[in-house]
Amino acid sequence: MRIGYLYKTLFLSELRAGLGVTWRNLFRPKFTIQYPEEKTPQSPRFRGLHAQRRYPNGEERCIACKLCEAVCPALAITIESEVAADGTRRTKRYDIDLFKCIFCGFCEEACPVDAIVETRIHEYHMERRGENILTKDKLLAIGDKYEAMIAADKAADAEYR
Amino acid sequence: MSNDDQLEIEVNGVTLPARKGQMLIEATDAAGIYIPRFCYHEKLSIAANCRMCLVEVEKAPKPLPACATPVMDGMKVFTASARAISAQKATMEFLLINHPLDCPICDQGGECELQDLAMGYGRGVSRYSERKRVVRDKNLGPLISTDMTRCIHCTRCVRFGQEIAGIQELGTTGRGEHTQIGTYVEKSVDHEMSGNIIDLCPVGALNNKPYRFSARAWEMTQHASVAAHDCVGSNMFAHVYNGIAKRIVPQPNEAINETWLSDRDRFSFEGIYAADRLQSPRIRIDGEWRDCGWDEALSAVAEGLKGIAADHGPEQISGLISPSATSEEHFLFARLLRGLGSVNIDHRIRRVDFHGQEADPVAPGLGMTLADLEAQQALLVVGSDLRQEVPIAAHRVRKAAVAGADVFFVNPGNYEYLFPVAGYLDTTSSSIIDELAGLVRAAFARTETRPDANLAEVLAAAEVRPEHEAAVAKLIAAERATVLLGLIAGRHPGYSRIRMLAAALAAATGAQVGSLTEGANSGGAAMAGTLPHRICGGAAAETTGLNAAEIIAAPTRGMVLMGIEPELDCANAEGLLERLADTLFCVVVTPFATPAMETYASVLLPVGTFAETAGSYLNAAGEQQEFSGFATPVGAARPGWKILRVLGNLCAVDGFDYVSAAEVTQALAAVCEDSEPSIENTGQLAPAVAGFDEGGLRVPIYAVDAVVRRARSLQLTKWGESVPDISKPADAA
Amino acid sequence: MIELTTASIASMWAAVPAAIQDTLLITLRILVVLVPLILAVAYLTYAERKVIGYIQNRIGPNRVGPKGLLQPFADVIKLLLKEVVIPSNANRALFVVAPLLTLTPAFAAWAVIPLFPGFVLADINAALLYVLALTSLGVYGVILAGWATNSKYAFLGAMRSAAQIVAYEIAMGFALVGVVMASGSLNLGEIIEGQRGSVLHWYWLPLLPLFMIYFISGVAETNRAPFDVAEGESEIVAGFHVEYAGVGFALFFLAEYANMILISALTAILFLGGWLSPFEGILGADNILARPGFFWFALKTSVFLFLFLWFRATFPRYRYDQIMRLGWKVFIPLTLVWIFVEGAMIAFDIGPWFD
Repeated sequence: MRIGYLYKTLFLSELRAGLGVTWRNLFRPKFTIQYPEEKTPQSPRFRGLHAQRRYPNGEERCIACKLCEAVCPALAITIESEVAADGTRRTKRYDIDLFKCIFCGFCEEACPVDAIVETRIHEYHMERRGENILTKDKLLAIGDKYEAMIAADKAADAEYR
Repeated sequence: MSNDDQLEIEVNGVTLPARKGQMLIEATDAAGIYIPRFCYHEKLSIAANCRMCLVEVEKAPKPLPACATPVMDGMKVFTASARAISAQKATMEFLLINHPLDCPICDQGGECELQDLAMGYGRGVSRYSERKRVVRDKNLGPLISTDMTRCIHCTRCVRFGQEIAGIQELGTTGRGEHTQIGTYVEKSVDHEMSGNIIDLCPVGALNNKPYRFSARAWEMTQHASVAAHDCVGSNMFAHVYNGIAKRIVPQPNEAINETWLSDRDRFSFEGIYAADRLQSPRIRIDGEWRDCGWDEALSAVAEGLKGIAADHGPEQISGLISPSATSEEHFLFARLLRGLGSVNIDHRIRRVDFHGQEADPVAPGLGMTLADLEAQQALLVVGSDLRQEVPIAAHRVRKAAVAGADVFFVNPGNYEYLFPVAGYLDTTSSSIIDELAGLVRAAFARTETRPDANLAEVLAAAEVRPEHEAAVAKLIAAERATVLLGLIAGRHPGYSRIRMLAAALAAATGAQVGSLTEGANSGGAAMAGTLPHRICGGAAAETTGLNAAEIIAAPTRGMVLMGIEPELDCANAEGLLERLADTLFCVVVTPFATPAMETYASVLLPVGTFAETAGSYLNAAGEQQEFSGFATPVGAARPGWKILRVLGNLCAVDGFDYVSAAEVTQALAAVCEDSEPSIENTGQLAPAVAGFDEGGLRVPIYAVDAVVRRARSLQLTKWGESVPDISKPADAA
Repeated sequence: MIELTTASIASMWAAVPAAIQDTLLITLRILVVLVPLILAVAYLTYAERKVIGYIQNRIGPNRVGPKGLLQPFADVIKLLLKEVVIPSNANRALFVVAPLLTLTPAFAAWAVIPLFPGFVLADINAALLYVLALTSLGVYGVILAGWATNSKYAFLGAMRSAAQIVAYEIAMGFALVGVVMASGSLNLGEIIEGQRGSVLHWYWLPLLPLFMIYFISGVAETNRAPFDVAEGESEIVAGFHVEYAGVGFALFFLAEYANMILISALTAILFLGGWLSPFEGILGADNILARPGFFWFALKTSVFLFLFLWFRATFPRYRYDQIMRLGWKVFIPLTLVWIFVEGAMIAFDIGPWFD
């Protein structure tokens, strides 16, 4: 016991074991993905930039129920509701602060009409103050642009729900 | 109650006391055992039509509805047994068959009794795959929105109309699945307390129309407050989102408003956000109005008032303040003006007859609690459109009448009362004074009392009719009888005669005298000393100043107006605007800026409404109620007590170093500690007024003060339409 | 235009006065050593990032130039372009001088390093003392930087550095005493010559404990992981250079890597025979592999440099008291013991080294 300990200390056996680990890793295959050229595969459940969807007839889905606002753990969503011209319940303001958002996807889960969704888009940037706020118009524009992708992702995930 | 009435029942193995004749649900509610229910409401009759409260009772072959099962000694009840639960679940499944799944867009979502109970008793997945019933929405007017598809036919709203309002505005038509709640013909719900069916509805079928879709139950904060538009001071909760009041609901208080709230108190807050709200202090310099900061405005006011006092003497300053201002505002207002040397202070802006004001009660009011009012056996209401003046008091009187009391009216018009009226003394061809004199003569004749010398002149002309005899007989026969003076009586040019006659009648018949008072806080105002003849606490002032009528008739050089629109809120206001425009310096402390104000005011100071200020009200039943502001002040508005406090400092008047409304309240209480509110009704008489239109003294229900006049939804109702156009908010479209 | 022929250059050279000729020649020789050294430093940073990257299963820099080979230049340009921030309460003069004070000795020590047979900038007899003096001078820069910054973190880093240098300088000195005893000379060229023979004649074998202690102390001396408590990012942010940015930081960086190369080179010279070939005595003397040369020196130095990087990738930082314990209670006694053993070996002429 005592001799074993002395041997280990004197000949630095543990340090050598550590060096051995790093030495072996030196020759292992590397994991690096060359990002802009190569990308890792994405799940249909990927939680990226938010979007608001419309029904196929162009009517916006959101009914201002404020469940997403209530469930949002980061308080990133601000909604003001009103009676729309046609008497329905609609948002007059729907803001998501991307600086506060933690992309947990609870808003998407809470939405009873699949209006707010998180798309696969994760490559975006802001250049000016205030651009971190996704307003209703911006959200709907994103939704309109990527509706095909969103619908496909929702369909792919539907059987697990 | 004798001990024979007591019995014991066993609920879930626990022995509970109960009273004979009680329903099971009352006993369990008292013990804190919850039984689900929709149609049962403690203030309404029992319908037992929702079947949600089914419980298992030993030896009963089927589950019984707890709301309609009387207790029996030794009965064994199981509220959560497998049988009870399965009965409740089955009921819930039936209720949900036709209930739409639109909770996300329903304003009731989050505070819905059906939603809550569906969490506990509903199935996760519906077994009902057929089409759901759809019911057309009804238009119930500007206050109540309907989504009748959601209705579960609990009939609480129907029973409210029948039992509380006294007018069945809603009813059920059809049977079974075709049952519908509605007005039989297309008409709106107009009762002055109709808003209560919003609270009663356990689902989202009847909802608050002005509030529709504007916020969610869970994101608002609830603040207790006191209603500011009549003399009972109903307790209420304001629901506030981001500092903006979104709706008001009643706060149960058995002593005052029970569980009800009048529509005026419920919807008036809309007026706070009227378009003509004064956003910042404004000052007129060389005839030009411009916005300015508080510092500039307040020093201008202090300079102006001190200037008037120096150049023309302090007696050339007068102050008029709204009777709905808080006691704290009244207290500081009186202290400020008296500090400047002025004695011309008044809050009785609708009163015209001030004879015998020295004998006014220190704090005018009913002289009894509202519960006492309900317990009266005979009531003579003099000069009051009760339902419009004080809806909650009207409800109490109605309860008394329904319980068998004889209620007589002496009124200048045949106002509608939704309860059996024992006698109606219409004054359209006579006057209140004539009718009262007749009653007094009848009473004197019956009790063989001799009239006082100063009454002889009044009584001489009086004619006694059989109606008078009948009413007096009832008043004398009743163990508890009251002569209730209404607001029309208070505004009467012969008020001192009315009061004298009422006192004589009461003395002769053994009744009490009470009066309804103007605004929310006439009692508090009188205690706080905004009177020309009394100082704070009710002691007589050294010098009696000008009263409201005199100030209105001839405004002094310097004027301070607080919380009023003089042309609408004051009696005899014809030509007042021109007279005010001739003053040298007129400060208007007001929440709203009207074009009229700009013609006569020198400085406009934006003040917080009842929603934005802390303070207290003394109601007509003598109850002091403190409250704090619930909404963020609009624009640069500040609570009245703060404005007055700083003005006091700037005018170098002592006693203005308060840092919170509560401190002002304490200071006021310290002064008023020894003064007991008294009801004493004797005094000098006003000269007789002939050919006076007493009906013109009536103020429409939704025109009583500046905030109510701007409450858009109220103005859209039947009663609101009768209000002059000037008070319609600019954004009424 | 003057025709530049060999003859014309020679004649122009002859026209230059002798004193200036010497100066020019020395300057040229210095540049010949220094410029490749700076390049080596640059590529050492690149190598470090690559090696550590590979050990961490990454591929390291690969974007600037082919295989990322221009990365060091990008870094240099970035550092040079950055703003130099001098903290408001710092001692400005010392704050500016400190990085130079660290860098200068690191470069100056190279004056006595023999790169290949017959090439050394200054062939002085007290070379080893010179090296010892200069390497310990570098720590003044660190201490001054820590003090001049007027920051708690920097000051803590400087104090740690000072204590560490004191502890390891002694062990290092004793290790060198062993080498001097074995070779009988302080001249680095002669020390190398003293190891001639074969791999077994190199001093690593008789002085094995001293060799290891010298290299480990060298790691400590250069403030490299696992002895980098003077910087200690996780504890004292960045230690003595916490407030340095841009050029100042670049100089510290440069000095640290120059010191690494210096320590590696010295270890190669003192214990592994410098430019001697490991095949000497195995292959024939005329075989190209058996000949001494710069190649062998560079190879040996590189091996030690790799060890530096390997250690950094492998070991977590020592706790401060552990560093002190190792220096004072392990290394100093060990070197002392081995010097006695060596003395005995010399006294009894134990071959093949001391016969």
